Amino acid sequence: MSSEPSVPGTARAWGWVAHLRAGGTTPWDAWTGDGVPTARVLPGAQQLELLRRLNLAGRAPDGLADRVLTAAAPGRGKPDLALVGAGRSPYGPQPVDPSLLPPDELIRVATSVLAEDLVALGVSTPPRRLHRIWHRRHRLAGDPIEVAGVRDHLASRGRPPGGPGAPVLVLGGPLDQMLADVWTRRCFERGSFGWLEWLRFWQQRDELPPRIDLAAVADRHRAQSPDVHVVLDRSQLPDLLAVRRLPPPVRQGSDAAELARRIATVVGLLVPPDERAALMTHTLLPRMPATTTPPVALPAEHRAWVQAAAERMARQLSRAGYAVVGDPRAVVPTQSVAPLETAGSPGAASGQQVLDLAVAMLVDDTWKGQG
Amino acid sequence: MKKVLLHVGTPKTGTSYLQDVLFRNRESLREQGILYPIDRFDGHFLAALDLMRLTWGGLETQAVGAWDRLAEEVREWPGTSIISHEIFSTASPTQIDRALTSFGEGVEVHLIVSVRDLVRQVPAEWQENVKHRSLVSFSHFLEMIRDPARDTRIGSWFWGAQEIPDILDRWGSTLPPEQVHLVTVPRPGAAPDELWRRFSHTFGLDGLELDLTPERANPSMGVPETALLRLINKRVTPVVDPPDYRPLVRELLAHQTLSRRTKSARLGLPPATHEWVQELSRTWVEEIQKRGYDVVGDVADLIGQPAEAFSDPDTATAADLLPPALDAIKALLVEGSRLRESEATLARDLDETRRELEIARRTPAEKTVQAMETSRSGRVALGAYRRLRRR
Repeated sequence: MSSEPSVPGTARAWGWVAHLRAGGTTPWDAWTGDGVPTARVLPGAQQLELLRRLNLAGRAPDGLADRVLTAAAPGRGKPDLALVGAGRSPYGPQPVDPSLLPPDELIRVATSVLAEDLVALGVSTPPRRLHRIWHRRHRLAGDPIEVAGVRDHLASRGRPPGGPGAPVLVLGGPLDQMLADVWTRRCFERGSFGWLEWLRFWQQRDELPPRIDLAAVADRHRAQSPDVHVVLDRSQLPDLLAVRRLPPPVRQGSDAAELARRIATVVGLLVPPDERAALMTHTLLPRMPATTTPPVALPAEHRAWVQAAAERMARQLSRAGYAVVGDPRAVVPTQSVAPLETAGSPGAASGQQVLDLAVAMLVDDTWKGQG
Repeated sequence: MKKVLLHVGTPKTGTSYLQDVLFRNRESLREQGILYPIDRFDGHFLAALDLMRLTWGGLETQAVGAWDRLAEEVREWPGTSIISHEIFSTASPTQIDRALTSFGEGVEVHLIVSVRDLVRQVPAEWQENVKHRSLVSFSHFLEMIRDPARDTRIGSWFWGAQEIPDILDRWGSTLPPEQVHLVTVPRPGAAPDELWRRFSHTFGLDGLELDLTPERANPSMGVPETALLRLINKRVTPVVDPPDYRPLVRELLAHQTLSRRTKSARLGLPPATHEWVQELSRTWVEEIQKRGYDVVGDVADLIGQPAEAFSDPDTATAADLLPPALDAIKALLVEGSRLRESEATLARDLDETRRELEIARRTPAEKTVQAMETSRSGRVALGAYRRLRRR
């Protein structure tokens, strides 16, 4: 990628770089002014177009333009692309009109910057509460979003899980919901495959993720505690935990989960694995801006095997003497999660939704102070 | 003068052998003033993953900070440093700028690109994809790399790693041509050590005491073997995770078993593709000649050999696949037996350790009783004690 201003079109490209750095929003195909090189290499079309979208969305924080223009687009996507008409070698990938780049290419650059922000924030330490030892003890397992909601609520009241002889509550619900919850939670831990690829992974293995294979979870805990209940009726949970009420679980939208998944991949390149999980769970998750996009939902192509697996789980829970609170058939999906109708990828957020969220987080960085 | 010899590819040009020699001789090289800054064989691969923010089946988690550590060692070394990995060939201009800047001021960087004709590189890259869990057929692979838009992941990666003029543009545009060295892989039938002689000359290793025993290579497979591996991938990739796939499929089956079947048909190109890549290669040769780089070998070798009979891996018959399949089954059974034996040995060791732990945990009273039970007088005394205590 030549940065020589004498090469036809290159001066125009440097002019556009200066325009975008100054907060400009003119698309490349409408840009006419020239400029001089301000770096050794011209930024790629992906970086430049992302900066333009940030400028369109609002005033970017100081220093963000430089960070975006030098950001590496992680992963095996397209290399940094040249601007069409910016005069370059006949070799390499075809130059592009940046306004036509698919959202995915811009998300790659955005996640690189957001991942660096997250690493800079560091791991948040949850506040320590006075441990109320006279309260009923408990251990929680099962659906990770249900578990996290209940655990955090109780911990904030001085009741962290554990303790000798604590009864174990294995929290469950409809299997499609539990699958969505496990995937969403994974996005805020170690990262994951995409939603559909992840579902195919379990379908092909004819297995369930260990956290929500409720009978197996109960079996594992029975080895340590005789008092294990599989809780499928959430309304009975406050009584079991001796609290008046519990807050409803917070489920992230599919756009937030997908963006977190992609940030987690980059964070994994910047810090050791344990630190990545801590950053994703304790730093990003509580700060993630709320969106109106629903959580991921089971697409039609996966309903049959999930239904069959849920029926099998219900039979196991009924027959093998597990202490079940609620109806074992509650694990069978009842279309409780409304399918999203988004183009090309039913059940998951569109690339544009994910990009919009990424752009919003880059332009308005007040999320960094939340949590 | 501080120098960095930066070898950035391309894949399938004898890089594994070169890197193995450099790795095994790193202490000797250091004594002779040449730094190969690495503490594990794939150290520069990890540095490349880190520099380029690439994920690689989970290996990237071991790469955190690897480039900065590598660059720091290079900055601190007063003499010549060598960095070598073929995936650097795909780096973007911004990443390359960061890499070159990180060596510090006053360093003479020499870019080394080892290259081989596309007639051999195209099928070799497909085979490399198959050895990395790919299910894609040869014909589909060829379609993707012939698509000028390079919109697919395979097309984009292939040309990023193989389009020689573009790699030289990206990596070499800020260097004088005499500091850009192109090492061509000799044509088939050349002396076996010819490639090493070219590497040795380019890296300034001539006359140094080095152990050249080949220990690590990336051997290639024939047509039925690659076709078989692709079929195996279809069955196993959904159920065998990358950490198990690497030792069992890539190493045991592909490298240690199927690549040893050297008499089967070799992978080549269909006639139309052969013609196309040779035409493209001629334009590259002209371009390289114009640029005035230091070429070690003959740049015309990049045009490749004339077409030979093409054996299509996509239409390999059951009869073609059976012999390598039987070899694969045998290899897996032998490995299974070895693992069973290893498991039995570990179980014995575990039992023994448990027994020792049990003995170590006994109370003094238990130890006394056990010692007394070994002699007659002890047993009599114990009997008397038990009667006294009514036990």
